[in-house]
Amino acid sequence: MAKARAIVKRLKAIKNIRKITRTMELIATARFKKAMDRASQASAYTKKISEIVADIARTAGGDSDEMSHPLLRAPEATKNATLLVITSNRGLAGGYNGGILRGAIRRMKETREAGATLKLEVAGKRGISYMRFQAESAEKTYTNFDDRPGYDEVERIADRYIEEYISGRLDRLDVAYMKFVSASRQTPVVETLLPIGNLATDQAKPARGRVVDYELLPSAQEILKEIVPAAFKARLFKCFLDAAVSEQIARMVAMKGATENADEIIGNLSQKYNRARQSQITSELAEIIGGAAALE
Amino acid sequence: MNRRHDFRLPASDFKLPASDAATIEPNIIMSTTLDTSTHAIGHVTQVIGSTFDAEFPEDRIPEIYNAVIVDQQIHGNQFKVTGEIQQHLGGGRVRCVALGNTDGMVRGMEVVDTGAALSVPVGKETLSRVFNVLGEPIDGRGPVHTAEKWPIHRDPPKMENLSSKTEVFVTGIKIIDLLTPFVRGGKAGLFGGAGLGKTVILQELIARIAKEFGGYSVFAGVGERTREGNDLLLEMRETKVSSAADAKAVIDNTVMVFGQMNEPPGARLRVALSALTMAEWFRDATGTDTLLFIDNIFRFSQAGSEVSALLGRMPSAVGYQPTLGTEQGQLQERITSTTGGAITSVQAVYVPADDPTNPAPATAFAHLDAFIYLERSIASRGLYPAIDPLASSSRILDPQYVGERHFRVASRVQQILQRYRELQDIIAIMGVDELSEEGKLVVQRARRIERFFSQPFLVAEAFTGKAGNYTQLEDTIRSFEEIVDGKWDHLPEMSFMYVGPIEEAEAQAKKMQG
Repeated sequence: MAKARAIVKRLKAIKNIRKITRTMELIATARFKKAMDRASQASAYTKKISEIVADIARTAGGDSDEMSHPLLRAPEATKNATLLVITSNRGLAGGYNGGILRGAIRRMKETREAGATLKLEVAGKRGISYMRFQAESAEKTYTNFDDRPGYDEVERIADRYIEEYISGRLDRLDVAYMKFVSASRQTPVVETLLPIGNLATDQAKPARGRVVDYELLPSAQEILKEIVPAAFKARLFKCFLDAAVSEQIARMVAMKGATENADEIIGNLSQKYNRARQSQITSELAEIIGGAAALE
Repeated sequence: MNRRHDFRLPASDFKLPASDAATIEPNIIMSTTLDTSTHAIGHVTQVIGSTFDAEFPEDRIPEIYNAVIVDQQIHGNQFKVTGEIQQHLGGGRVRCVALGNTDGMVRGMEVVDTGAALSVPVGKETLSRVFNVLGEPIDGRGPVHTAEKWPIHRDPPKMENLSSKTEVFVTGIKIIDLLTPFVRGGKAGLFGGAGLGKTVILQELIARIAKEFGGYSVFAGVGERTREGNDLLLEMRETKVSSAADAKAVIDNTVMVFGQMNEPPGARLRVALSALTMAEWFRDATGTDTLLFIDNIFRFSQAGSEVSALLGRMPSAVGYQPTLGTEQGQLQERITSTTGGAITSVQAVYVPADDPTNPAPATAFAHLDAFIYLERSIASRGLYPAIDPLASSSRILDPQYVGERHFRVASRVQQILQRYRELQDIIAIMGVDELSEEGKLVVQRARRIERFFSQPFLVAEAFTGKAGNYTQLEDTIRSFEEIVDGKWDHLPEMSFMYVGPIEEAEAQAKKMQG
């Protein structure tokens, strides 16, 4: 019965694991809905504010003096780059962290090859431990972002970046995170958030050739001063929101798969156990009958 | 059941005077080749499958293990079979196991006691020949005349004569040399279920060892496919001991003894002893190192179990004979090295239903120095030899015998594989992404090690399309040391398949990348 016992033990362990993965799947599903609502709301705002920045830039186009906001000026050479890697605090999310970190490592290599010094900032415990394992020292680490990243926390980080950028200590800011495209598609990306030029051009194409004429009051300068940092902050915040919702989706999918795998293993083990048990019974019966027959 | 009932009939029911035999079976014409004046003569009283009972005069009962011969004309055909006395049933009756086919045996036939146990020819004249269980040549090259014939039942060497030295026996197969080093003058077992390549590994070892090895080899084919025996014979005739033009063929230093699947259980039960007796002569008379290959020792136990019930013994665990351990012990204890000479033996052991706790393989296990277990899950991934690196073991994998470095590398390899096996459940459920970075590294290296254990075989050149590879022990240890140190993490997994030393993996990786 030794073999059957061992199988029962394994079977129990896997049933327990299945219980956990199933629960986590359900939790992730619930969190995913909330995170997605936030992300889609923020996405409307981010889109609009990017459009406005683009429109204003166009309206005031040509007049470089008026257009000048420190965040819009691209430095001549990239000397100091910062890479912010947004990963999850918890595992059991399938290939979620792996994909982001692969992209991040690639970008780090490229940046270093281009001769820039790179500062690494990592959000999420998984990324922190991965970078530690890779012997990459992270300048700053954050573990306070979960499924509901708070705007004020992101704003603090964004303010620091703005300040560093304007003072010339930072020439480029990259963010590696999982972009939320749709509920069924998320892709790991490394996006350049600063210099902000990309933001104005990439993000918002003029809406179907319709050019809106803006009257800028009190002045374009005043408005840019407000709106450019706000757009950047919204953009960064959106990264965190995307990351949060992608994480929940990744976890949901991973746990669904894990539960299915566990079910399969349970099926196989049950079959094995039943077979071991039956063969045990058969051989014992055969021995008893054989023994009895031999005694006749 | 009716048959067994017959056992209990009073002996008198079977009393069948020799003179009456002719009246019952008028077609029988008595004829014996042995001198009947010095040998006791009895008559067959009962035939039960491959065993039979005979009745002898009560004062001339043949001893246990004596060979008896039935040799008569019946219906115009010569009927000849040799039997071996197994039991005395009382009242002059004995029970024998037939070493040949009992088809055509009839009650009343004359049974002649040879007065001694079955003996087989021994000596240098037996080299390059093929024998059956009775020691008769079956290769069609005429009779074998030897000065001596030794009985197949002999005592194991005395304890005081046993050799105590321990030396590693290098095979050039990476996984064997690293994890389950063979002992020179020791016993190694190849355990495995059906179709995992036991016979291939055994033949590979013959090709490797017998080729490099100066001494004599004896091959015992016990209850395996006749075709394989034939293939082996042809191959040994072709393979030369060295590359010189006038070199001797391997067969010139080899004796083969076959009692294959087609033969009755009695023959399969005794053929290992016949072969062993010939090997013992080489050990004791010439003092040379002798190799004994047995394929397959399980068939020996199986044959024992086939005749056991017919002999009237009560079946024991899983239906095996109650004397399973004794039989195995009597055979295995004779396969040993003495101060006079050594027998190095490699035995294939079939594992029924892939269950190593089955009594037959479990009994054989205890006698071995090196234990190689073949695993189906490895074979099904196309990795040959399909040796399970964790279930296999060797008595001499110990720094005392193999050296500190070898032992350290072997244990590190085992640790990595052990850890990988523990992680396997997690990987199966969660996927490899959930592992920690250390875990991923372990998995990565373990997968490389597993693949690196595969190796092209000399005898499998036709299947792998690669020339067989002999890896020096030093290269084996260094290669594995570098893998566990992570020096080769950058090579793709596939490049570790079917190569010799690690440099070949590197070359293969380059070739794969184009």
